[in-house]
Amino acid sequence: MIGYVPGASALHRAHPYTPLAIATGLFLMAFAVSAPGAVWVVVAAAALFAASAGVLGTVLRPAAILALPTWVLLTILHGLLGGAPHVMLGPVAFSVAGGERALVFGGRLAAILLAFLTALATVSPARLVEAMTARGVPFGRVYLLVSTLTVVPRLRARVRRIVDAQQCRGLRLGGSPLARLRALGPLVVPLVLSALAEVDEQALALDVRGGTARGRRTALDPPAERRADRAVRWVVVTAVVAAYAWKFLGAGR
Amino acid sequence: MTLRDLVVVRLGVAVNLVVGQVAAALLLPVYLDTIGTVLVATLVGPRAAIVAGLTSQVLNAVLSGNFTWLPFGVVQIVIALYAALAARLGAFRRLGTAVAAGFGLGIVAASTSAPISYYLFGGATAGGVTAVTTVLRALGAPLPVAVAAASYSTDLLDKSLVFALVAVVLRSLPRQMAVRFPMLAR
Amino acid sequence: MALDAVTFAYPGAGTPALLDVSLAIEAGTVTGVTGAVGAGTSTLLLVAGGFAPRLTGGALSGRRDIATNRISIVFATPWTQLTGLATTVRAEVAFGPASLGWPRGSVLAACEAALRDLGVEHLADRDPGTLSGGELQRVVVASVLAMEPELLVLDDPAAELDPAGADALYALLPELARRGTAVLVATPDSERLARTAERVLVMEGGRVARDGPPAAVLDDTDVARIAWAAGCPAPYPLDVAALVARVVR
Repeated sequence: MIGYVPGASALHRAHPYTPLAIATGLFLMAFAVSAPGAVWVVVAAAALFAASAGVLGTVLRPAAILALPTWVLLTILHGLLGGAPHVMLGPVAFSVAGGERALVFGGRLAAILLAFLTALATVSPARLVEAMTARGVPFGRVYLLVSTLTVVPRLRARVRRIVDAQQCRGLRLGGSPLARLRALGPLVVPLVLSALAEVDEQALALDVRGGTARGRRTALDPPAERRADRAVRWVVVTAVVAAYAWKFLGAGR
Repeated sequence: MTLRDLVVVRLGVAVNLVVGQVAAALLLPVYLDTIGTVLVATLVGPRAAIVAGLTSQVLNAVLSGNFTWLPFGVVQIVIALYAALAARLGAFRRLGTAVAAGFGLGIVAASTSAPISYYLFGGATAGGVTAVTTVLRALGAPLPVAVAAASYSTDLLDKSLVFALVAVVLRSLPRQMAVRFPMLAR
Repeated sequence: MALDAVTFAYPGAGTPALLDVSLAIEAGTVTGVTGAVGAGTSTLLLVAGGFAPRLTGGALSGRRDIATNRISIVFATPWTQLTGLATTVRAEVAFGPASLGWPRGSVLAACEAALRDLGVEHLADRDPGTLSGGELQRVVVASVLAMEPELLVLDDPAAELDPAGADALYALLPELARRGTAVLVATPDSERLARTAERVLVMEGGRVARDGPPAAVLDDTDVARIAWAAGCPAPYPLDVAALVARVVR
């Protein structure tokens, strides 16, 4: 399942920035290392991250679904079509170097997916908004990141209605590529125009509710920022810096 | 950015996220997930468009769970700037020039995203582009060439379409609405 | 709030939306505005509330005096008025006061009071996305009330409500006036205006065609039409009670 999964783990109770920091750290680490073994250590770390939040089972499935097609393509792209040296796996010549590269890229994919799906699962949007408000993040940023997600389902519903309406007027959704291309206009243009028409009222409503208010907004239930949160984030930063230092300095040796 | 600009940017992001769905439903080999960014570039300006593009990248990752898209945020910045420039030069006034400008963006965008795809992900991100890459590679093209060719062919079509659609939208704006966007006058 | 000979045109519009409009609104009153589509009722509300030309652009001539900046506006469509930032109704309602930087205690108190006024306390923990149009509009009004405005402007607020919901909403307006708020409400619904407004302006082509108490100014409630058809002299009784009073006399 993609998205927030309520739970009682330490990560759920932590300040929302903490799981995000860990996920970002893992993301950066995945690119800092280039050996297959090292990459899969990062993957293991990401899995550990998920397990410690109690969500490993929940995130494994979407991660696998998202990763599988790319893994298959990676295997073909690099493994089967890679350069020498080759090793015979049954009837098929498999490139060793290519296989290693497939492992690296596949591992990166796995690490990123596990890390961020876990972050998604442990950070509730409401708490994140509160945390950002308490930290003084400008309203605009919070608004864009969070309220867009509420607009999307409405727009999707509107697309469906436009599709229905246009089909009543004779729009065909199947047919030749050119016909389908021409179907784009009557679907996309009304959608955008109708959404643009609402902009004035939305801006007015937001203004009325204090969207332009200067000064600090009152945070009603700010998540506590504990020593453990800060400690964890410092560890993440140090680890990432160390990994990149090793990558750039060590590689020069 | 005024509050109104913010609402327009949010609209752009939402359109980015949703129109891709329309394209997928029509089984077209394009994404159309930058149409909102381009629209914001023409209606508000380059900075707002960059915000729209980057936010779309983040939210797309959040919604689909596929966070490998994040590094391609650089491409969104390029698209935003190019679109704003194209608008300034009046490319959206006629459908023909819009498509030509979109074609140009396709080249620029693919040139930016192909290296990212190649160096960070070995040419395999997601979707049809990677499949094309694989086919080309199987046909004997070296990997960088396969990645590039796949990127370019999808991007040329995608960006031309995006620009064409935005041009149509701008032309269809009722006068009272158009007046509220000073950027359009230029 | 007072408008003096105000003329207003939207940007790019050929004709002004408001022509030489004057009106004065006192605290603690309910003023109604009505008129055909395009007569300028919505524009009047925007100008009176200070939203035009500030947020809409356009040219305004004439004078506008206002004694407060605690003004709120409510529109007809609930969805476009949500902030989108709240996962619960309570958070949505609290957004306004929180944005004003009120201390936490005041925010929560105002929130509870507003929820109670609109009769939506039972929805406090619900996700706004799961509410019906009618419930949502009540949440929107509560969100606006939580900011304790001194001038409350409503543009056809019950358009998407069922009759019971609309009645409840309009019944709230005189109550708000009693507490000292100035209420300005525009609606084509003459029946409800007749019952809630002390004074009604009828707009035609951007001008104020008639201005006075409902009985003198409105003539299109069902009862009024019956009275007119029955040959009653003007001013026509607007509702059954007035009709009975007239007949009994």
